[in-house]
Amino acid sequence: MAEFNIRTDSVDVEQIMRQIRARIKEKRGVDYTEQQIQELANVKLERFLDPKGVRSDLVQQFRRARGTTPAPPNYNFEDTTLYDSHRGIVRLFRKLLNPFLKLMFNPNAIAHVLHMQGQINAINAQHASVRDELDSLYYEVIHNLVLEVTRLGIENKNLKMRVESLNSRMDFDERRARALEGVVQYKPGSGPSREERPAPARYSGDSGRSQPHAQQHRSQAPQPHQVQPAQPLQQAPQPPAYSRPEARPEARPEARPEARPDAAAELPAIATPEGLQPQSGGATEPPADGAGTVRRRRRRRRGRRGGRGRAQGDMANAAGATPAGSDAVSSTPPHGDPTAHAALDDANSYEGAEQDVDSGSDSGDDEGPDTAQ
Amino acid sequence: MKLAVVVQRYGADINGGAELHARYVAEHLARHAQVTVLTTCARDYVTWHDEYPAGVEHVNGVPVHRFPVDHERDVKTFARWSDHVFEHRHSYLDELKWLHAEGPKSSALVNHIVANRRTYDFFFFFSYRYYHAFHGARAVPERAILVPTAERDEAIGLGMTPPLFRGVRALMYNSPEERRMIQAASQNEDVPGVVVGIGSEIPAQGEASADRFRQKFGITGRFALYLGRIDRNKGCNELFTFFLRALPALPKGLGLVLVGKEILPIPDHPRIRHLGFLYDQDKYDALAAADLLVMPSYYESLSMVALEAWALGKPVLVNGKCEVLRGQCIRSKAGLYYETQAEFVETLRAIADWRSLNAALGRNGQQFFNQHYAWPVIEQKYLDMLARLKEADRANGESTKMEAEPGFLARRRKTLRPAAEVLSELPSGPVLN
Repeated sequence: MAEFNIRTDSVDVEQIMRQIRARIKEKRGVDYTEQQIQELANVKLERFLDPKGVRSDLVQQFRRARGTTPAPPNYNFEDTTLYDSHRGIVRLFRKLLNPFLKLMFNPNAIAHVLHMQGQINAINAQHASVRDELDSLYYEVIHNLVLEVTRLGIENKNLKMRVESLNSRMDFDERRARALEGVVQYKPGSGPSREERPAPARYSGDSGRSQPHAQQHRSQAPQPHQVQPAQPLQQAPQPPAYSRPEARPEARPEARPEARPDAAAELPAIATPEGLQPQSGGATEPPADGAGTVRRRRRRRRGRRGGRGRAQGDMANAAGATPAGSDAVSSTPPHGDPTAHAALDDANSYEGAEQDVDSGSDSGDDEGPDTAQ
Repeated sequence: MKLAVVVQRYGADINGGAELHARYVAEHLARHAQVTVLTTCARDYVTWHDEYPAGVEHVNGVPVHRFPVDHERDVKTFARWSDHVFEHRHSYLDELKWLHAEGPKSSALVNHIVANRRTYDFFFFFSYRYYHAFHGARAVPERAILVPTAERDEAIGLGMTPPLFRGVRALMYNSPEERRMIQAASQNEDVPGVVVGIGSEIPAQGEASADRFRQKFGITGRFALYLGRIDRNKGCNELFTFFLRALPALPKGLGLVLVGKEILPIPDHPRIRHLGFLYDQDKYDALAAADLLVMPSYYESLSMVALEAWALGKPVLVNGKCEVLRGQCIRSKAGLYYETQAEFVETLRAIADWRSLNAALGRNGQQFFNQHYAWPVIEQKYLDMLARLKEADRANGESTKMEAEPGFLARRRKTLRPAAEVLSELPSGPVLN
């Protein structure tokens, strides 16, 4: 069991929580806050993504609506209009009495004003007709602008998501590269034999995490998105000690798309900077004499999990998901459902552990983070 | 010195947070002063039905004077008034009607306080949001010490509460978060106040036995413990959801043991075990046997069970959305908190799997409890406050500054904002200083 000495005064709850959150984020890609999710959910893209949602005949409809409004009538008023009549006798009397009328008030001013008003009305009508034509053009421009802005907004959102996704993948690749670097020195035939090799430095960083998995990464590294056929564990480029027939992926028909055998091994990373040091003689050292049984059992466990994890990863690939075979580093694609991922990847590690229990000692210090290796 | 502890319910078999708090305080102050408890005959906090006989009886050596309630609570009426004053613009009179609907309305209790105002040197009123505290404190403001036990709920945003907080002689807060919230709501910084909290009747070292618990209840595996009412209001539904979803990811055999009265249906699952109500010995044995205590409540003014867990050296895992619990965890360095499913899984695993972290958190909790919540510390804070007030009385004479209630017309004007709106403007988050 990986046990650590923690000085009581060195426990910083907030830092532990930050590290736990960082780890969750690392495992699951970008973690959106509830507010961000709400914001994304509120973006009404459907209407614009669906061409049926946009009325393509808006301009025509607008013109039609404008065209149905009749132009207002104009009345031409001249200096004779005031005394005009279609009856000659009436016209005569009005002409005779005109001096008397002018004695009472000044009709010329009225005639002049009304004449001017008629001219103004005519000019306004002309302007209005010009405005109508311009309005149609403006509307068309605005309509096009709205469409363009919406399209740009959607594209912007997509680009943001792609950037986040690429960031996650870049982190993922970096971690995998580190894991592969750690594997190189243990290349079969060039390094120490399996039995002589010290136990993996599970708590010293990513490169020290489960080595068999790292080898899986190496085999899959060049084509991380390629769909890989499910392979029995013993065919993987792994040392014999890890490739036992009990790996039996077929025995786990409920195999899930991700396996994270080193789930608990990540825990120490949470507090390592805060005065959490492995105990002397801890997991970083090879087991003492007489611990061979435990070591073999642990390897058997790893072998099983590694095999199952690979099969599950392949299943995920076949389903079109992000590659899941790289479970030793982080097999979770970004933007995944955190709950499901947590349940699934941890299920793989702990269910495996349950199957391996064959003695009371397993429920002791050898459990927890260590059993998940 | 004669003291009165005024609380809505009281009894050896009542384990509500504020009520238990009041009982502990009464029993411990009884060692230093003459303490009388004034309470109602109610036992059920939902109906306030009179179950205890009216009159005087002794509970653990403390005289308890019970008064009947005027009427039981009509749940629908209370819900309607709650919705009205919490969500809509309303009047002072509406709030009084809400208070009466909430209960336990006991005119006899308030009349007794008024009639015996000179009998007691000080009255400790528990739970600001109930009838007895509001009307009792307004009746004897010059001798009223309020233990608000305020949670971050809408009641703190009611318009009738700030004058109460400003008008009492002193306040005994449960947590820095509670003090900040009340001071922000009422601007009562000039009222003497101290963060006290509450101790607990922790068994002596070695008296709590994990083996005894496991033997008695047949529990062999590791488990996280929940202690308290199994209620939606306590966040238990979320706890069940999170735990069931997290099961595959949790350490092998880690179960959830529930202790308390079942109000919410408990999922039928082999990893979840409900033991019902337990007496103190069994409760402490359960804590001794547990890997950790889970506290999923969103609203707590002070979690006594968290303190009890710390006293026994057990870490806690709390709902991070409860600012008080979160603040306690950060200040004590004795627990982790979660807000999401993923955080629940990771924090639970960290505490359960990572034994030295578990032990360190537990040690910190024990230290935190001994420094702040051991009974000698609590008692001393109460006695210091009483001495301070006595000294002020001698220097300045008793003075009352409780603001008068609005007049006939003013209390009918709908000028008060929705309580929820007021609450949303109050500062939130843990107090770390």
